[in-house]
Amino acid sequence: MTQSPFRSRLIALLFLSPLILLTALFFYWPVAEAIRWSFFLEQPFGGGSTFVGLANFRRVLSDPEFWKSLKLTGIFMVTASVPAVLVPLVLAMAADRGLRTSRIARNVLVWPKGVAGASIGVIFGFIFNPFVGILTPLNQLWPGIWSPGTDGVDAFITLIVANLWNGIPFNFVILLAGLQALPDTYSKAAALDGAGPWRQALDIRLPLLAPQLFFVLVLEFTESIINAFGLIDTMTRGGPGGATTLLVYKIYADGFKGYDLSGASTQTVLLMILVLLIAAAQFLLMERRVKYER
Amino acid sequence: MIETRTSFDRIAMAILWLGILFILAPLWIALMSASHSYEHILRNGLAWYPGGHLVDNLIRVFTDTRIPVQMFNSLIVALMTAVGICILSFCTAFALVFLNLRFGWLVFATIFGTILLPVDIRVVPTYQVMSNIMEPFAALGLPVPQISLVNTHIGLALPAIAHGTGTFMLRQFFRTVPMDLARAARMDGAGALRFMWDVLLPLSRPALAALFVLMFLGGWTNYLWPLVASSTADMQTAVVGLARLATDGDSRAPDFPLMMAAASAVSLIPLTLIAVLQRFLVRGMALTEK
Repeated sequence: MTQSPFRSRLIALLFLSPLILLTALFFYWPVAEAIRWSFFLEQPFGGGSTFVGLANFRRVLSDPEFWKSLKLTGIFMVTASVPAVLVPLVLAMAADRGLRTSRIARNVLVWPKGVAGASIGVIFGFIFNPFVGILTPLNQLWPGIWSPGTDGVDAFITLIVANLWNGIPFNFVILLAGLQALPDTYSKAAALDGAGPWRQALDIRLPLLAPQLFFVLVLEFTESIINAFGLIDTMTRGGPGGATTLLVYKIYADGFKGYDLSGASTQTVLLMILVLLIAAAQFLLMERRVKYER
Repeated sequence: MIETRTSFDRIAMAILWLGILFILAPLWIALMSASHSYEHILRNGLAWYPGGHLVDNLIRVFTDTRIPVQMFNSLIVALMTAVGICILSFCTAFALVFLNLRFGWLVFATIFGTILLPVDIRVVPTYQVMSNIMEPFAALGLPVPQISLVNTHIGLALPAIAHGTGTFMLRQFFRTVPMDLARAARMDGAGALRFMWDVLLPLSRPALAALFVLMFLGGWTNYLWPLVASSTADMQTAVVGLARLATDGDSRAPDFPLMMAAASAVSLIPLTLIAVLQRFLVRGMALTEK
């Protein structure tokens, strides 16, 4: 890139300092504090704090509740992300055909972007209610077959469906933009060789979409465990019997309901490490794909 | 081959309609169920067709709950977030791209780092910091008063503003602006600020509009941070208020029509925004990828 002709230390200082100050105060400081508190035992109600070394980590890591919620977080990450990427993928490939319907679809499919996770959680909580909801007829035929209030698997399913609904806009837009950016010379060449639309879609356009697909999937991993909070808090409240207590929800409950600042901070640190590891994996794998792409 | 094409398109069309149906059905059910009475829903379950109680239920939302004042809070917080991000990231990205900074990469890395850890996974320490934002200065030994921004509009918006996505998006956009424009402006005697105001800002209008819409929607739909950072019902955002309606119920069956009416009211502003400014929103989302 050619150099800009402008140069001004004063303007740079003036323009950069507000955002740097804000990120320092509301991002880096809290992150540092979380790390610090994870080495201290904080007394509730301002009783002071004492340095305890790795005792907080030992306590959290030997707590079966923590491992259970970490396992649930992992399960949710996979079972919620896969449909939240596959369904938009199928929709994007269908919308890519430029049919009349795709104009309507491209408008309607981004609507969930305006509905908060917690709002759609309230709505889906009603729709999946075993007594007045959409599956009530099933329960009349086979009593008790649908019961998200007592069956952990049912509760998990409601979260996955709500997460899929919320995740469609972003993934659909990115995947469709990726498809439409593909040069149509490949498809034309394939058509000349006698490949029909199915063949073109599966053997040419889908493999060429791999970079976007990968990007969306990795982003969805983090997005799903974060978006889950609003859904859990409105649909299952972590239940039944802790079956949907993901780590984000457990940290909130420990920190703001149980007043366990040290425990919550320690788990925050562990969650941050997990998210950073996912980001690092994304970065490394993206680097690799750039190499073979062109 | 003609046949396979039509079969493919027919299936594509069916898939798109299924997708549209999946998106619209919950919203439709919410709106229809909001138009029936409490007793009707308890007796007959959720509704697929309109009833005569929509206005009654909406009136109840606006008189019996705090949703009206909470929607006002959401509007303030979403506007603050969107305006704050647009101004700050425009200035920051401008300095990063057009001012030849020696440590620009370091500044960019510092700001980019915030994208990796969203506020939702660090609510506990962020809350502690917000309850006394002078703490870092007090730690340095400066005699500063305690200032808590918990339960204020600005406190609800700040963690979202202190975020790098906007800077990242605008930086990507600025890098596509031909540097010859800057050189031409320089030759005509314009300084950096003049170039920013008269050349770059008009060029950036679509990108800024996309960023604004995206961040407004984010500010409106955030949940975890507003939930912990507001301690009174009158300072909660509408989404938090709606969720509290659903979870703070007493022992009798939840008042579903009221909840659905509230859900419809709370989602009306952002959904209208999306339907009207669809173009900008899609462009904004596509920009985050690059």
